Amino acid sequence: MLKVENITKYYGDFKAVDNLSFEVKDGEIFGLLGINGAGKTTTFRMIMKLLDDYSGKITLDNKEIDYNITNKIGFLTEERSLLTKMTVKEQILFYGNLKDMKDNDILKKLDYWLDRFEISEYKDKKIKELSKGNQQKIQFISAIINNPKLLILDEPFSGLDPLNVEEFKRVILEFKEKGSTIIFSSHRMEHVEMFCEKLVILLKGKAVISGYINDIKKQYRKKNIRVKGDIIIKDLKQIDGVIDVEKLANEYIIKIEDESIIQNVFKYVSKCKNITKFEVEEATLNEIFIAKVGEAYEK
Amino acid sequence: MKNKKLWYLTKQSLNRKIKSKWFVVVNILLVILIVGLLNIDSIIKTFGGDFNETTEVIVIDNTNKSYELLNESIKNTKSIFGDETKIELENYEQSLEDAKKEVEENDKLLIVLDNDDTNYMKATIISESYIDTILYQVIATSINSTKETIALSMSNIDVNELVSVTNPIEIERIFLDEEKNDASENLDMIMSTVFPILILPFFMLSIFLVQMIGAEVNDEKTTRGMEIIISNVSPKTHFFSKIIAGNLFVLIQGGILLLASIIGLFIRNLLGSNLLISSDIIDLSGIINLLNTSGLMDKLWIIIPLTLVLLLLSFIAYSLVAGILASMTTNIEDYQQIQTPIMIISLIGYYLSMMAPMFNGSIFIRIMSYIPFISCLLSPALLIMGQITIIDSIISIIMMVITIYLFIKYGLKIYKVGILNYSSSKLWTKMFKAIKEK
Repeated sequence: MLKVENITKYYGDFKAVDNLSFEVKDGEIFGLLGINGAGKTTTFRMIMKLLDDYSGKITLDNKEIDYNITNKIGFLTEERSLLTKMTVKEQILFYGNLKDMKDNDILKKLDYWLDRFEISEYKDKKIKELSKGNQQKIQFISAIINNPKLLILDEPFSGLDPLNVEEFKRVILEFKEKGSTIIFSSHRMEHVEMFCEKLVILLKGKAVISGYINDIKKQYRKKNIRVKGDIIIKDLKQIDGVIDVEKLANEYIIKIEDESIIQNVFKYVSKCKNITKFEVEEATLNEIFIAKVGEAYEK
Repeated sequence: MKNKKLWYLTKQSLNRKIKSKWFVVVNILLVILIVGLLNIDSIIKTFGGDFNETTEVIVIDNTNKSYELLNESIKNTKSIFGDETKIELENYEQSLEDAKKEVEENDKLLIVLDNDDTNYMKATIISESYIDTILYQVIATSINSTKETIALSMSNIDVNELVSVTNPIEIERIFLDEEKNDASENLDMIMSTVFPILILPFFMLSIFLVQMIGAEVNDEKTTRGMEIIISNVSPKTHFFSKIIAGNLFVLIQGGILLLASIIGLFIRNLLGSNLLISSDIIDLSGIINLLNTSGLMDKLWIIIPLTLVLLLLSFIAYSLVAGILASMTTNIEDYQQIQTPIMIISLIGYYLSMMAPMFNGSIFIRIMSYIPFISCLLSPALLIMGQITIIDSIISIIMMVITIYLFIKYGLKIYKVGILNYSSSKLWTKMFKAIKEK
């Protein structure tokens, strides 16, 4: 289990992370979200001990993270962290050896992952000769080559096509099944929503939302109603509690303040013609993110 | 476990350098160039040219008394300028016009000697084209010498007295300091020329070292590979791996240069022993003889270890400063700029070691020989020339050790902050802050 307790980090006078706490159990995927400059990367760097001049405590399985246990950690940075003059094989051997792995073991695992991501032919190619997406695959392989107990993924889907995003998701879920603790950062809320049980949303280094996603969604009172049929937006907007009506290609999303408004909307919609869908859903994480971060940002 | 990663990183860093195809290519070229340079005279002679041809000189002696004297004088002068200059003199008794025709047709040289009322004799040198400087010097010196002989004989000076006047003076050198001798004085002159050549490889290697460490650290920083490396090994381990790898690299490179020199000298010896060529450019036995007579051989047992210790310590200091500076910069261009002062200091040391014989006894030069980065070049030069004592060299070594200690103590703090710093804003503030941290 990863436990982050009251960590605070200053860069000069600037407070990059402000009294942040969270814990991630084994086999859990945790989302660390926030706008650019919110403190996500700084938090990752503190977990990885790349920064040590901070207050608070970070432990993995009740042990302070130091160079004795970094072999159990896999880290995928937001920016490419590959030595581009090396070949794929040299690169993975290099990073694997830094995790105290044996060459034979590294090469065996490398062959498996290259085959899995369908890039075996690039094994002896230089990193700089690979496309952005393939470089990301190599970076991902370098993070998981040691079967990490703690896997930190900073924007893992960057530069990937949808097919490879799906493959990455499958691999991440496999690690979750194996009991790895996974921290995940992404600007794509649908990815976070799909993976994470728990999350923290950071703003200016401070947690503005924290907890299980289901609880966060329940606590967030605003709901959405999806309607298919002939409705008049102007009329709907006149109902008290309707915040907005958004027209999609062949349906409408009616945003309401809380559950009590559903009845009034339903009354109106039932009078309209050609209604084939009326579905109440919770607000998306994206909406919660924009609403909460926007709110806090304005403060 | 830490040591395992240190050696792995060192091996990795070294392999990246010496297993690259450029290292192999550059070293093949270096070996060829060094062997070639050491045998350059053989190469020049193998390709041939007109430098073996005898210059035929015809002389019209209108004074009717100078030809024989000139011929004798040319023989003497040639021995001063080198026997390689081949001149064949012929007394030409036909007209000037015929002589000029001879010069044009057969590429000969014509000297016309005439009487002169005020200056005993005047001469004209006529040639088809330009003549080389040494040939001109030999002829001009010989003509002057001839004139002097004529002038003295015209003044009714006895032949024996004439010989005494023209013979060079025998100069005897006496040193009141019993440790000094004539050969040692010559050695000063020789070492001032030879030593900069001997120390040049060290200067080159120190540049290689600074460039290698800077390029590697910057490569790892700019690709952000540093984040992954430092999340697995401490900055201290990383720093020392670069220092050890850098120093091993220059030792290997130095070994290759030494091997190339040995091969070059062996080939030279082989060519010389087969009497294919003769050369005076490198006279090893002469140098060894000079070292023996100067008494330097007796001191080499201490001079060589002291010099080697100083050179090795300097390599370590260079690598430390290269690592520290590289950690502070964010790209190789910035690094090139920031390392320039160190290279200039080293260059000053190189020039001072060349100029040292000109300032014998200078306190300034002596103090400069204590300064790290200069001492490695200057101190051995002064020690060989006897301008400083072994104690002075030991002071230079102590200064170097102190510098290394300070570089490790404070440099490591800078390195730790620097290698994960990607911004050049407030760089010096960050570094000074890092130094102050406990």
